[in-house]
Amino acid sequence: MPIRRFYRCCRNILRRGRIAEDLDEELRSYIEMVADEKERAGRTSEEAIREACRETGKLEQVKERVLDVKAGASVDRFFQDLGYGLRMLRRNPGFAIIAITILALGIGATTAIFSVVDAVVFKPLPFPNADRLVRINSVLAATGNGDVASYPDFLDWRTRSRAFERMAAFRTNDFTLVGDREAVHLHGAVVSAELFPLLGVKPLIGRSFLSKEDEPSAASGANPLILSYSLWQREFSSDTSVLGVSIRVDGHAFIVVGVMPQGFQFPIEAEPIELWTTIAVDATGGANAMTAQRGAHYLDVEGLLKPNASVKQAEAEMAVIATTLSKEHPENKARSARVVPEVEGLAGKVRAPLLVLLGAVCCVLLIVCVNVASLLLGRAVGRRKEMAIRAAVGASRGRVISQLLTESLALSLLGGALGLVVAVSSLGLLRRILPPEIPRLESVGINGHLLIFALVISTASGIVFGLAPALQGSRVTLTEPLSENWGRSSSGGKAQGRLRGALVIGEVALAVTLLLGAGLLIQSFLHLIHVDLGFDPNHVLTFEVNSPPENAGASPHQFFGRIVQQISTIPGVSSASADATLPLTGDAMRSSIELEGQPMPLGSRPSANFNVVEPGFFRTLRIKLIQGRDFTEYDNVKSTPVVIVNRALAQRFFANQNPIGKHVRPGIGNGYGPGEPPMREIIGVIGDISQGGVDAEASPEVYAPLAQSPFGTMFIALRTSGDAKAMVNAVRRQVMMIDKNTPIYHVKTLDQYLSQSFTLPRVVTLLLSGFGSIALILACLGVYGVVSYVTLQRTREVGIRIALGAPQAQVLMMIMAEGLRPALLGIVIGVGVAFKLTGVLASLLFRVKPTDLATFAAVSALLAIVTLMACYIPARRAAKTDPMCSLRYE
Amino acid sequence: MSKPTDLLQGTLDLLILKIVALEPAHGWAIAHRVRQMSRDVLQMGQGALCPALHKLEQNGLNRSQRAVSNNNRRAKYYMLTKAGQKALAEESAAWDGPSAAITTVITAV
Repeated sequence: MPIRRFYRCCRNILRRGRIAEDLDEELRSYIEMVADEKERAGRTSEEAIREACRETGKLEQVKERVLDVKAGASVDRFFQDLGYGLRMLRRNPGFAIIAITILALGIGATTAIFSVVDAVVFKPLPFPNADRLVRINSVLAATGNGDVASYPDFLDWRTRSRAFERMAAFRTNDFTLVGDREAVHLHGAVVSAELFPLLGVKPLIGRSFLSKEDEPSAASGANPLILSYSLWQREFSSDTSVLGVSIRVDGHAFIVVGVMPQGFQFPIEAEPIELWTTIAVDATGGANAMTAQRGAHYLDVEGLLKPNASVKQAEAEMAVIATTLSKEHPENKARSARVVPEVEGLAGKVRAPLLVLLGAVCCVLLIVCVNVASLLLGRAVGRRKEMAIRAAVGASRGRVISQLLTESLALSLLGGALGLVVAVSSLGLLRRILPPEIPRLESVGINGHLLIFALVISTASGIVFGLAPALQGSRVTLTEPLSENWGRSSSGGKAQGRLRGALVIGEVALAVTLLLGAGLLIQSFLHLIHVDLGFDPNHVLTFEVNSPPENAGASPHQFFGRIVQQISTIPGVSSASADATLPLTGDAMRSSIELEGQPMPLGSRPSANFNVVEPGFFRTLRIKLIQGRDFTEYDNVKSTPVVIVNRALAQRFFANQNPIGKHVRPGIGNGYGPGEPPMREIIGVIGDISQGGVDAEASPEVYAPLAQSPFGTMFIALRTSGDAKAMVNAVRRQVMMIDKNTPIYHVKTLDQYLSQSFTLPRVVTLLLSGFGSIALILACLGVYGVVSYVTLQRTREVGIRIALGAPQAQVLMMIMAEGLRPALLGIVIGVGVAFKLTGVLASLLFRVKPTDLATFAAVSALLAIVTLMACYIPARRAAKTDPMCSLRYE
Repeated sequence: MSKPTDLLQGTLDLLILKIVALEPAHGWAIAHRVRQMSRDVLQMGQGALCPALHKLEQNGLNRSQRAVSNNNRRAKYYMLTKAGQKALAEESAAWDGPSAAITTVITAV
């Protein structure tokens, strides 16, 4: 039945003309029949027709009523109104251009930001089990920051929890694949065997990992390896016989057991993952393995919720488990656990800023709507007569409202269409300026979601800005507007004035809120770029390189030492050195440490960042040596094991003592042969440096010399006297000369890392400031509009006042008050709202309180001054009018 | 001209269906027959009749056909569909109960 109705509806609309003709004919023949009857009763034919017509009633109204009962009548009328609306717009192009332009900007910006948020934050993950995937973080209770977990923690979580169907741990890693051709650097992941069944993904060919393959013993010398589709295509020519083949990665033999389907990616990162192997590679080293240390926080943990378990339940359960663990192990004392839906965790740090931007851009759109509404109000004055005529010939108020709303809709849909163009063309720009390491940023683009959003938001805006003017405009008395001298003292004008005042209050309040947000972010950003990093990032080139295990006989120290030495000879290089984890990359290594005189089982020791450096590293980065000495060539496996610690470690573990000469035992980094890593003597203390991005707190750090703790993958850092980037080719040549099978990768200056860590705050600050400025301009236009309108309304009154001798200043004040009153009220409301709302910015602010008094005062003052200007300009014009002119005006 | 509100809600439709059920008829004929059969008590003008006819047609209760009338005028003849017959039966049954009841009440002494 509904289908048939729909069909009739379409038919009625399509055959509009034919239906109208038929109806005409039917009505005509009816009248003729009535007339025939009258004639038979003895009237003359003229009289008969006149009477028949009178009895039948108004023909047009009958037709209208018939058309009303037809299915699709409302659709038909909508198109009629739309056509009329478009004609009206064409007749008033100035208004149309302004309204459509600002609507296009508002809708375009909102749509563009939405499509980024949609792709990065909202879009479901491409896994069968996506809706039940959660990320389980170890949380530092002191700061509330999420952290990676240690393997013993992971195992305890897995065995003790009930809410999860499966749980898996993983980390990313850099590998070097040595094939037939030159060695290639590959980004890969080390995962526990359960990961693929947890995601619900099966390999394209071959098999997943077996759970026993998490143990090193099961691997019998060769660990299993799964290839990504693209690696399989590129390096193995999509050959299915690759299964079971042994390949050499990082100098070890791995057996290829499977190939993942095309497009599969886990963890989802900007840098694609090319291969997966099991956690067994971390389990070597027996009792001292990474996987045995509770202080070695280095794994991400993924969970699959049971179908009936909620994130809340899982979190409650994990809290209990974490509390128990914190009682069992001192290292866990400061830790709790958090469960985050994977899609939320993936967006991670960008989630909050992106949502803030979306909220901000929606505010801008709202202000745009308010402005268009007040433009429409202005136009409604000119159309009073039209409305009165409509009402006089019998249009109901509802009919007039729907007509006016349709006109607004025509406006907003045109704005939306243009806005779509704006959105699509700004997507490329957004993708370029946002930090490239945002996961899934590359999937931002034109899609169905974007189109639907643009349509919905255009329609919604049309209704939002059209409703108040339509309600206002449709309220007409029949006689007033049609009389000649209407407009001098009309009650309608006053109601309009009130509505305009309310609109100004609204938009000023929104603008204040946005500008306050922007102001806070600007302050925070200034703090951020002026923070003391603890090192000098200018003129430092860095790259990563893996020590080739094939180079039998040569230790990593010898290999990297040679590179450092060679590179130091390049003209323009003032110093060079190497370290295992670079500051600002956010990839610190975590290890357990044991303190001298405080023996503790391995599973319970506290944790510290562990780094391995070559001599001269601190000098190269210009890190301050506070106490003691740097490493030298003589700190090697034949001499005393030594370390340098940072100030944070010295303060935390050796408060009020001289740390030099004390001993600590880091859980990793043993160049003295098998067995437990040695106790190391502290020989120096360096200043704290920013490790994981600039806004992170300094944590305890231990540095060991490479000669005493060999490490296969190192960053080489070189300080140059000139442009660091200009050195890249010379550096590549030098490394090639040492070993042509050693690719250098991640070649970047420290500056680049630094600006990368600033990119997101910078973009968010910039965009929010931009939105704030647009809001400010629009709000000023609104205030200006109100005062201009009042001036027009009261020209006569002003003329009389001036003629009677009112001082100009008094008249000026009187008119300005009309704009200032709502503007000031708007500022007060805006400040109040912002006071409540800026809390959402807390996570984005660095060393600025969300209720920073100075910012609030400055923004309020700015708004007050600017709106004062917006009032003054039209008011002055009014106050200067010649009274004779204004009195003659009407 | 009588307005639709002069008749009880829904009775106009019922009357039209009844007349059309007797034989196919055009608009004027329907109005004429109603007046005739009600002995000039019920009068309906085109303002009410025409929309009602179109609504019934839209809902599939009657259909129309063009033909030439007795006095040589082209007119639109309405006739009942199957759904219309069913609706007529239901509506008349639904009318009988209350109307008889009301008559009983208001004619009681």
